[in-house]
Amino acid sequence: MEGTERELFARSLRHALESGRGGDVLDGSLGGLGWHEALVEDPRTAVSVLFELQGAAGAHSSALPAVLGYGLGMAPPATAGLVLPRPGHAGPPGTVDRGRLTVHGLAGTVREREGTVVVVAGTGDGDAVADVSVDDLDLRKIDGLAPHLGLVEVVGTDVPYTVWDELPDGRWERGVALARLAVGHQLVGTSRRMLELARRHALERIQFDRPIGSFQAVRHRLADALIAIEGADAALQSAWDDGSIESAAVAKALAGRGARTTARHCQQVLAGIGFTTEHPFHCSLRDTLVLDQLFGTANSLTREFGRRLLATRQLPPLPPL
Amino acid sequence: MELDEFRSSLDTWLDRHDETLRATHGAGATLDDQLAHLSLVKRLTYEAGWMRFGWPERVGGLGGSPLLRAYLGEALTSRDLVEPGIYSMTEVLAPTMIDFARPELAAVMVPRLLSGAETWCQGFSEPGTGSNLAALTCRATRDGDAWHVTGQKVWTSLAQYADRCVLLTRTGSVDSAHRGITALFVDMDSPGIVVRPIETMHGAPEFSEVFFDDVVVRVDRTLGHEGQGWAVAMDLLPYERSTALWHRAAYLYARLQSLLHAAPPDSLDPVAVGEVAQLVFALRARSRATQHRVAAGEHLGPETSIDKVLVATAEQAVFDLVADGLGPDVAMGDDPTSARWRRELLYSRAATIYGGTAEIQRNIIARRLLDLGSER
Repeated sequence: MEGTERELFARSLRHALESGRGGDVLDGSLGGLGWHEALVEDPRTAVSVLFELQGAAGAHSSALPAVLGYGLGMAPPATAGLVLPRPGHAGPPGTVDRGRLTVHGLAGTVREREGTVVVVAGTGDGDAVADVSVDDLDLRKIDGLAPHLGLVEVVGTDVPYTVWDELPDGRWERGVALARLAVGHQLVGTSRRMLELARRHALERIQFDRPIGSFQAVRHRLADALIAIEGADAALQSAWDDGSIESAAVAKALAGRGARTTARHCQQVLAGIGFTTEHPFHCSLRDTLVLDQLFGTANSLTREFGRRLLATRQLPPLPPL
Repeated sequence: MELDEFRSSLDTWLDRHDETLRATHGAGATLDDQLAHLSLVKRLTYEAGWMRFGWPERVGGLGGSPLLRAYLGEALTSRDLVEPGIYSMTEVLAPTMIDFARPELAAVMVPRLLSGAETWCQGFSEPGTGSNLAALTCRATRDGDAWHVTGQKVWTSLAQYADRCVLLTRTGSVDSAHRGITALFVDMDSPGIVVRPIETMHGAPEFSEVFFDDVVVRVDRTLGHEGQGWAVAMDLLPYERSTALWHRAAYLYARLQSLLHAAPPDSLDPVAVGEVAQLVFALRARSRATQHRVAAGEHLGPETSIDKVLVATAEQAVFDLVADGLGPDVAMGDDPTSARWRRELLYSRAATIYGGTAEIQRNIIARRLLDLGSER
């Protein structure tokens, strides 16, 4: 998408986000706005614009399974029922061992699920895509840290299934890379929202006869938040440029760590009010911690990356100038 | 010339001339050796044309995108043919001359800097004005067609090697702050200039005190107009945080790579390694976007303070990792390779101090990017 078209696309998405509340409303709008078509034509714009806006608005949709599915080479409507890896994990949510399928994953948003969900399962000999009847799975609506996300835990042992496709080697990793970029953008959007809340508070809150934003200790915390956000954002853009799986993991880790840094600084600046449910900050903090869990945490991705670097003693190439 | 073509022809040329371009003095070089070698590399790359790309034709350049300059510095740095700090001073000083010197003066002088025929320095900081640059007191008094300069500068990098100096002086009243500053282009062999090098912690007299005692500077050596010195300084600082910073990022990537090769097994914590590599990635990504903004003709401003904080943070993180992975060598090794790691580790401590401290960068970010208003 070119500049103007991209702007229009972003504006209509923003409008849909601001007028709706909760995941289901947004899901309806995504269809109407042609987001699914945009995902195929220009995945970079579709993913970066939507997910950053979701973060900035504190909104949610079921677009994440669609992104993973697109990366796996699948198309809607199958992707709507695609099961995500469980928190803290990035491997396929299913495993097939001697013909028996075990499932442990997450479904995107809570809704009356009917019929089947789609589970990618490691078979020991590659990955397969399987249809599973919802009736054969245990579904648990996750309250946890962020009930408003409407996540559902999906569990099943020895579940009946029908395999409808084999995934080519490395395809799952490619899907995960794309999903990591999406979650990374949402973390950046969430971080920008937290920073804006804290910035506004720093300008409005008066102590010692001056706005607290005039104190250097406060200013430097907020500056550090912006530095963390811009570093992560640049890494995400760079990962789109070079398209490598490694870069997407680096960017997701930077976005996750950056969001936690931002949350820490912003909450300290917001002080008492940011500790209450009367202020929206807590929602973003909750989102941050949950989003960090999706497709590998900042910490686990960093450790894996470091291990790989120490094993190969070779830094991966960076996108050329 | 387009970047891709430039890249491949330059790489071929560098491969072919590696032996001529590579310093014979190895890792334990003195600053004298480094400066002599830098002049050689600049001369050879200038004569072959590479150093002239990305600079306007009116100052002896061959035109083309500034990306070509960024790549040249990246290639020389990552091949370990130049030390990025002293190499990249050109990136800061030449644009100032191009933007503010009389065109005739720039046309004569800039080629001397690019070709390595001359070394220049930048006289900004004073004993009483570090972060608070606008309070500088080095006085220039106008007398007919000459300025008379009296005062002192400090932390002036390479002053003892320099042929010229871009000097900030006070020409307004004592309390005229940033309004009463004028930039001058001064010959360092002028009578009345005394340079006293300062021995640094990392073992090189990299910067000096410079004393001016009634030094005469012709008025046609004024950069910009009288009282425009603050604009000259503000114009120069974003350059320091763009192309020069890209070169430094290339250097950090190369040194981190060397550390991965050199560190004994199990001397490094995987999480620490991963995190430092991620910082270098983020820096490179951010700086890459900045290079492309420069190439698109965008005016750089306070947002480059983010680049500057990222590079300082990454540099100290890389060398903190060196202290972990190569601790015994750094602490006790007397071979040239250990001495180099030690020198670089010590130098990295200055990364959050020079070119605007980490605190000043955060002040700029808070005021200009976050719009937090005045500090008082």
